[in-house]
Amino acid sequence: MTVKVLIVDDSSFFRKRLAEIIATDPRLQVIATASNGEEAIREVQRHHPDVVTMDLEMPVMDGITAVRKIKTIRHTPVLMLSTWTTEGAKSTLDALEAGATDFLPKRFEDLSSDKIEAQRKLCQRIYQLASGFQASQSDIPANRATNSQTQVAAAKPEKSFNTTPELVAIGTSTGGPVALQKVLTQLPASFPCPILLIQHMPATFTPSFAERLNTQCAIRVKQAENGEHLVPGTAYLAPGGEQMLLKGRPNNLYLSIEPGDVKETYKPCVDLTFDSIAHICGSKTLAVILTGMGSDGRNGCESIKKKAGKIWAQDQQSSTIYGMPMAVAKAGLADKILDINEIGRQLAELS
Amino acid sequence: MALDTDDEILQDFLVEAEEILEGLNEQLVELENSPQDADLLNSIFRGFHTIKGGAGFLSLEAMVNLCHKSEDLFNLLRQGERFVDADMMDTFLKVLDILNTMFAEIKSGQYPSPADAEVIESLSAYLNNDSAPAAAPEPEPEPEVVEEVTPPPASTESSSADAPADDEITDDEFEALLDQLHGNSAPGIKDSEKAPKEPPAPAASASSSSNSDDITEEEFEALLDELQGAKKAEAEKPVPPPAAPKSAPSPSTDKAVEPKAPTPKPAEKAASEKVEAKAAPAKQAADTSVRVDTSRLDEIMNMVGELVLVRNRISTLESSFENEEMAKAVNNLRVVTGDLQTAVMKTRMQPIKKVFGRFPRVVRDIARSLKKDIDLELRGEETDLDKNLVEALADPLVHLVRNAVDHGVEMPDVREAAGKPRQGKVVLSAAQEGDHILLTIADDGAGMNPETLRRKAVEKGMMDEDTAARLTESECFSLIFSPGFSMKQEISDISGRGVGMDVVKTSISKLNGVIDIQSEVGVGTTLSIKVPLTLAIMPTLMVMLGEQIFAFPLVNVNEIFHLDLSKTNVVDGQQTIMVRNKALPLFYLSKWLTKGRTDGKKPEIEHVVIVNVGTQRVGFVVDVLLGQEEVVIKPLGALLQGTHGFAGATITGDGRIALILDFPELMKVHANRGY
Repeated sequence: MTVKVLIVDDSSFFRKRLAEIIATDPRLQVIATASNGEEAIREVQRHHPDVVTMDLEMPVMDGITAVRKIKTIRHTPVLMLSTWTTEGAKSTLDALEAGATDFLPKRFEDLSSDKIEAQRKLCQRIYQLASGFQASQSDIPANRATNSQTQVAAAKPEKSFNTTPELVAIGTSTGGPVALQKVLTQLPASFPCPILLIQHMPATFTPSFAERLNTQCAIRVKQAENGEHLVPGTAYLAPGGEQMLLKGRPNNLYLSIEPGDVKETYKPCVDLTFDSIAHICGSKTLAVILTGMGSDGRNGCESIKKKAGKIWAQDQQSSTIYGMPMAVAKAGLADKILDINEIGRQLAELS
Repeated sequence: MALDTDDEILQDFLVEAEEILEGLNEQLVELENSPQDADLLNSIFRGFHTIKGGAGFLSLEAMVNLCHKSEDLFNLLRQGERFVDADMMDTFLKVLDILNTMFAEIKSGQYPSPADAEVIESLSAYLNNDSAPAAAPEPEPEPEVVEEVTPPPASTESSSADAPADDEITDDEFEALLDQLHGNSAPGIKDSEKAPKEPPAPAASASSSSNSDDITEEEFEALLDELQGAKKAEAEKPVPPPAAPKSAPSPSTDKAVEPKAPTPKPAEKAASEKVEAKAAPAKQAADTSVRVDTSRLDEIMNMVGELVLVRNRISTLESSFENEEMAKAVNNLRVVTGDLQTAVMKTRMQPIKKVFGRFPRVVRDIARSLKKDIDLELRGEETDLDKNLVEALADPLVHLVRNAVDHGVEMPDVREAAGKPRQGKVVLSAAQEGDHILLTIADDGAGMNPETLRRKAVEKGMMDEDTAARLTESECFSLIFSPGFSMKQEISDISGRGVGMDVVKTSISKLNGVIDIQSEVGVGTTLSIKVPLTLAIMPTLMVMLGEQIFAFPLVNVNEIFHLDLSKTNVVDGQQTIMVRNKALPLFYLSKWLTKGRTDGKKPEIEHVVIVNVGTQRVGFVVDVLLGQEEVVIKPLGALLQGTHGFAGATITGDGRIALILDFPELMKVHANRGY
């Protein structure tokens, strides 16, 4: 089956380039283009695309508003094509919160020095978005977290840990920004242990993302710094473009931020951080894998599991892309497979 | 290294960038009047953003750098973190000029040279101001001051480079964020000479999260290998569209024409007919416009012209047959040819906006240098006319608008004293009226005093006092089109060299256009220009002089009537007729254009055609009126080069050759008068 793509961009130059690039992939087919948000909505209604690539800055109606409206019309994965600047980060995060599924740089040089490779990557991402999205079918609208929580809270809490973990580590990719938001906003300021967050994201995005989460959550959220000592009730977001490793010993944990190796696919990489955690915290660790493409985190979870740590994975139903959680679940590593809201709720119960 | 100007991607970029640059030109000037218009700021931001994107795609680093800075600054502006002041405006206009230069360089196949370091520095300075340590959590933008031209220190205070000026951000976080901002989005600040490096390696690879281990990679690789060959070939082909051979390789004539077809149509089809081969519909959806060389359009237009001639010919022949079937077929031919002609003409049409767009800037610059306060209003910008006309009108219009600003509108103080608002107004409008376009340039300035003009004409020795006194008002106004006639006392560098207006008139006449002036002292001046919609096909009035056919451009023809020749008068040695209480000079065309005619036996009643020549009306006596016909103008052959008074020739419906008259020339040659 070919994936039907709608291109939305106010620049005819980019519409054409994107169409050319997408046309190189036989699995994809451009069925329509739109030059602003309003046209995009019309085209979505008319053509039912499988994936929409969306520009942010457009006349008449911008990309974020369009994403929000498209979500109310038809469940369609939207790939934001944004500029990778701090400014672009804010708008992109807004778009993700509005319901966009994933993002990629608009200028392909941002992605890689090899243009052809970058273009192939774009096609691949579009294809995966369409297939991954069809697989997961998440239909639960965002922001209902608090409601369902109060309802389920009456049920008798079943403690999964004999003792409270000393460290929680969450790894995620596509769909992660919204998923993390759903989880972290449920945690009380008195959360008993530090949290490490590994979200696949470029360096220009992570500071904005950390800041954003910090304003939304009761717990403190910040971008991790080299040499920083861990404090309970604080979440440390791995900075983009680098690797975050856990150092020290229990009761005196600190972070080491190291430059990423060219060979590593992901910066930050969930596996690397999880491996470092396994060595130090071992059984006192709760590792959570949320929505995301690929399988980063599976090997890390394995290491943690070997040291008797606990592993939770997000369920297929609530995952934007059921890739990383699936990898963990299929490897038989997950102690629990939970709905995204349930993950937040049960984490909150740890306190 | 040179750029490949035949590259389709580059051409796409140039087409889009040109459009945006024209828009920016207008928008930036508009910005000066409404510095806080959010839509406007957004739209300018997007303009820079889009150019930057395209330039980045093509690795035109100098352009990227400049656009990037401008975009960043406009981002601050649109978030209300900074406000536009006069200095900043000047910088923006400089940026625009540089961009235009770069654009020209790219067009000629060169990589753009890096922007003036000074401009980049001043942009950086504006950006830097905002990250000054004074960053208060709650910026005080001093909203009232904005109306003033210079709010000097406001810029440093209205800071905080980040929009969510949230109380909860700690200083550290804020600093970190600023570092980010600097590190990544403004890498050129320190060494502005260098082209900006893109957010380096980290950003690049962090993102490459696309490989899914689960979807069997081997399978995928195999699939890719299969495609690789085809893909590479496609990606690397320079792709000159086979449909457009280089009939005119010069890049400047190479302009894109985008038919304004409703864009999504083909896509619609593609969706409903899924059975079709995949590649084809995808292509369809992507390309709804085709670049066509204008010379090719000229060619088509020329052929359509020939077709019109053939149609005219057949149409004439048909009338002698009296065959109903034939008549039907010919009628059909007439309709189809007409439609074809309109359709081809439409592809050559461009909105006059292309010319109008430059005026806000022109007016602003002149007004600033003359310290006048002028509001320019543009009307009917979307009026379409032939591309050649758009280009040909540009210079005359610029001149007329400059004149209106320079000579027409008074200084603010003078205006105030005269009880007018300090701000002068110039209205530039375009509208289609039947088969021609009416352009008007109206100002609410001092107007022209016929007496002053008369005096001036005498002073310049152009005529004696008696002649001057006999001039009608509109004839006085037309004096400004005479060579060497400058109205302003002292010559400014903007206008007043006295060469402009007659050049304007000549160029308008060349377009078969007509100029008319109306002016009232103290109220203002209105200049109207009438030009035909297209230059290639011309509606004419066919007349006979003796045995020969001549064509009058219809745009010049004012009225036709039968005249009792005994009712003419001779004034000052010139035969005249009274038409509605106006004395018009009357000429016998046959005396000028045909040989061997005796003046003896004149019929009592003759046909007179009143023609607009320049700003005047003149009567011509002709022998026979044949009627209206659309003709295709053919240039006169080399043998006839230098024959004055003819715009060209054409083939009439009955297969004969008719000369097309050029009245201004004709008058110059035969009546010794410049009009």
